[in-house]
Amino acid sequence: MKMQITENLDVDVDARVWSCHHCGAALGAAEANYKESCLVAARDPEEIWQPHVREEVTFSYHRDWCRIVEFYCPGCGWLIEVEVLPPGHPITHDIELDLDGLREPQKGAH
Amino acid sequence: MTANPLDLEEHLQVTPITISPSTMIEWTRPEPLSALARRCIESLQPGDYEIYDEKLRNFLEEAREVFVRSGVTGMLRAGDLIVAVYTANGDLANASAGTYLHCVTAMLPVKFVMSKYYGNPTVGVQDGDIFYANEARYGGIHNPDQMAFMPVFHGGELIAWVAALTHNPETGAIEPGGMPVTARSRHDEGMKLTPIKIGENFRIRDDMLDMMENFTSRAARMQAIDVRARITGCDRLRRRISELAADRGNDFVRGLLAKLIVEAEQATRRRISRWKDGVYRSTAFMDTIGPTSCLVRGSLAATKHGSDITFDFTGTSPENDGPYNCFPHITAAHAAVTMYAFQFHDLPVSNGALAPFTWIVPEGTVFNADPDAAISSSPMINSLTVSVVQQVFARMMFSSEDRPQVTGNICCQPCSPLVAGPNQHGVPVAELDNALLNTDGHGARQDRDGVDAYGFAYGHATRAPDTEDSELEQQFLRLYFRLRADSGGVGTFRGGTGTEAALVLWNVPFAAWAVYATSSYVPITLGVFGGYPAASAPGISVRNTDLSQKFRRGDADIPRDTIELATQRAIQGEYHFEHTNRPTRAGIEGDVIVATTGGGGGYGDPLARDPELVVQDIRDEAISEWTARTLHGVVYDPATLLVDHDATKAERAKARKERLSRGKPWAEFQAEWSTLRPAEHALTYFGSWPEGVANHPLERT
Repeated sequence: MKMQITENLDVDVDARVWSCHHCGAALGAAEANYKESCLVAARDPEEIWQPHVREEVTFSYHRDWCRIVEFYCPGCGWLIEVEVLPPGHPITHDIELDLDGLREPQKGAH
Repeated sequence: MTANPLDLEEHLQVTPITISPSTMIEWTRPEPLSALARRCIESLQPGDYEIYDEKLRNFLEEAREVFVRSGVTGMLRAGDLIVAVYTANGDLANASAGTYLHCVTAMLPVKFVMSKYYGNPTVGVQDGDIFYANEARYGGIHNPDQMAFMPVFHGGELIAWVAALTHNPETGAIEPGGMPVTARSRHDEGMKLTPIKIGENFRIRDDMLDMMENFTSRAARMQAIDVRARITGCDRLRRRISELAADRGNDFVRGLLAKLIVEAEQATRRRISRWKDGVYRSTAFMDTIGPTSCLVRGSLAATKHGSDITFDFTGTSPENDGPYNCFPHITAAHAAVTMYAFQFHDLPVSNGALAPFTWIVPEGTVFNADPDAAISSSPMINSLTVSVVQQVFARMMFSSEDRPQVTGNICCQPCSPLVAGPNQHGVPVAELDNALLNTDGHGARQDRDGVDAYGFAYGHATRAPDTEDSELEQQFLRLYFRLRADSGGVGTFRGGTGTEAALVLWNVPFAAWAVYATSSYVPITLGVFGGYPAASAPGISVRNTDLSQKFRRGDADIPRDTIELATQRAIQGEYHFEHTNRPTRAGIEGDVIVATTGGGGGYGDPLARDPELVVQDIRDEAISEWTARTLHGVVYDPATLLVDHDATKAERAKARKERLSRGKPWAEFQAEWSTLRPAEHALTYFGSWPEGVANHPLERT
C-alpha cells in the first residue's frame, strides 16, 4: 500500500520503502532518512539570491555562514527538499514514520 | 446561587508546582476538572453552550474594542494584544487575541495569584481588585508585555478571571524601547513587576501609577495612558461576565467556561489523531544574539503518537549573556502562536488545546535559561521556535485532510525599527514602527502563493497601523514603504512578499534609534518540500545626508526601493552596510534607516511553477527577471512578457539534468561536507561544534 507523505515523497507501507512521488524512483528504506538516497548538492546562497552590492551585507546570505543543501530525486531530478545548514552541519532526519502504525487505520482516533 | 464550600474550595485549586521560571510551563495544561465544574457542565441545557459561546465571544470583542480605543501605543493600535476570560482557577476559557502568544503568558500570572495570594491575608483576592504583571519569571513573556487582570465575583463567589494585555514599548531599560539589545542580565531590562495588586474597590492606586511612570520616564505618558486602557478593557469584560452570572447564575458561567476547555481538548485530540504517527524533526538557525552576529540553533523533535504530541527541544543552543534567552513557557507560547492560528484555528481559544502537548526544554539552553538571564528579546530568539514548529507540523499534517493548512514558513524574521526621543510636538515617544512589523509575507501553500504583506507571524490578527498617524506621532517620515521584490521564498508556489521602508528622521534635531531584526547571513524563514527560504535582510543606513536640500529642490531621484537606494546612491551621505539587527545609536535629522521585513517560505520545486505565474510575478514586481530565469527556468520575451512554453520546457529539462550532474551520492557528499565548518567568528555563542554544548562561561553582571 502506497501513501503520499509529502508533496514529493511516497512510502510503500508493505515494502517499507520511500519513493519519489513524481517518477516512482526508490529512495531507500522507509526506516532510514530518504535524503541518503537522493543526490545532494550544497549550494552557495548567491546562486539562489542575487547579491546587489559588495558590502558586509549583500542582499544575499553569507556562504561562510550557511549553504543551501538541495536533495534531488536521482530518477527525475525533482527538488525533493531544501535544507539550510551551516557548512558541515549534520543533515536532519526530518521524517521517521511509525510504519507499523501506518498499517492500522486511524490509530488513536476517537 | 451559593456553591457548597468544600466543592468551591476544590474548584479554586491550582495544581501545586515548584514556582520557578523553568517550571511555570507545567501550568499550561488545564487543571483537573473539579466535581463542581463537572456538575455545572452537566446542568447546561441543549443550545446553552452554542448560544452563550457566541455571546461570550461578543463580550470579548467588545472589551477588545474598548481596550484599543482607550490606549495610545502603536502596538495596541496594531492589535498586539489579548483580552481573555479564565475559569476561577486560571485556565484560559476563551480570548480575543491579536497575538496568540498570550494564550499562554497571560494565563500563568493568574494561576500564580490563585496559587500564592488567594487566601493570603496580606494580599487576598477580593471583588474590585486590580492586578498587574509584566515579569517573565512569573509567567509573562518579556517586560514590555504588560497585563491587567481582575477577578470576577458574583454573589460573593469568585467565578472567573479576566485579563487585558498589550505591549508597551518602554520599560526603563538600559536602552530605550523595551528590548535592549545590549542587555546582559535581567538587571539591565528595567521595570519588572511580579503579579501585584495595583487597585482595590475598582480604583487604581495613584502610588502604583506613579511608580510605573517613574520606571518608564522616557515615555511616561504612554505608560500612564495604556495602564488605564488595559484596566478599562479588562473591567468591561468583568462587568459583562458578572451580568451574565446575574442573568443565568454562577453555575451557568462555571459550566460554560469549563465546557469551552473540555470541548477544545477533545477537538484538538480528534484532529491530532488524524495525522500520521512518527517523529518529525526540524533544525533552524539564527544569526544574531544582541549586538553580536553569531549562529544560534533551534532543534525540535516532535513525537506524535495517537492524540498526544511531545515537543523536545534538545539540541538547541546554550543560553548566552545577551538578551536572546527565554524560559520554557515562553517557547510554548511561541509554538502556540502557530497552533491557535493554523492547526486549531477553528476551536475555542482555550488552554484545552494545549492539553495534548508535553514539553521537553533542556536547562541551560536559550529556551530554558538561568532565572537571572536577560530575556527581553525572548520573541526574537523564539524566531527559532516559530520556524521549527511550522516545519514539523507541515510534515505531520500533509497526509491528512488538514493538508490545506500546510505552508512554507510564515515569515519568522520580525523586523522592527525603534525610534525614541521627543517627537515633532516635543512629546517624549519611544515606539516601534508597527507598519513594518505587521507586513511580513505569508508562507506559500500547497495550492497557492502566500499572501503578500500578510501580517505578523507572532500576531496573526494584528495589522499595520495608519502610516500618516504614525508619522504624526513618531520622529520620522517614510521615503518609501512598499512590497519588496524577491523577498518571498521561491517555489512551485511563492512565499508572500514582505515589505521594505526607508525611514528619515524628520522634524526633530535628533533621535535614538535601533532595529530589532534577524536573518542577514542565514535564513530562518524556511520553505517546505523543495521551496526556498525567504530573502536576506540587509541592514542599511545613510547618515549626514543631503535629503533636506533634495526635498527643497524637489529632486526626482529619491530612491523608490532599497536596491535602488543602495546601488544608485542618489542620496549623498555616509552609507553603512551591516547586520540588520542594530543596537541603539543616535541619529540626526535627515538620517535614513532602511528596514526590511521577510517574505514567506516557498512551497515545492521552483521548476514546477506555472510559467504564466512567473511572468505575472515579474509584472507585479514580486520577483526579478534574474529570479525568473535562474530559479524558475522560464523563457519569455522581455518586451512583451509572453512565455515561450517550448523553450521553457527545454530549459527546465536542462536544469533538471544539471541537478543530476551537480548532486552527489550521499557517501561522496558526506566525505566532502563533513570536512567543512562555519567561519570561526560565527560560532561565538554556538557552543561546541557541531554538538552545541556550552563551552565557555557566561559573563552576566
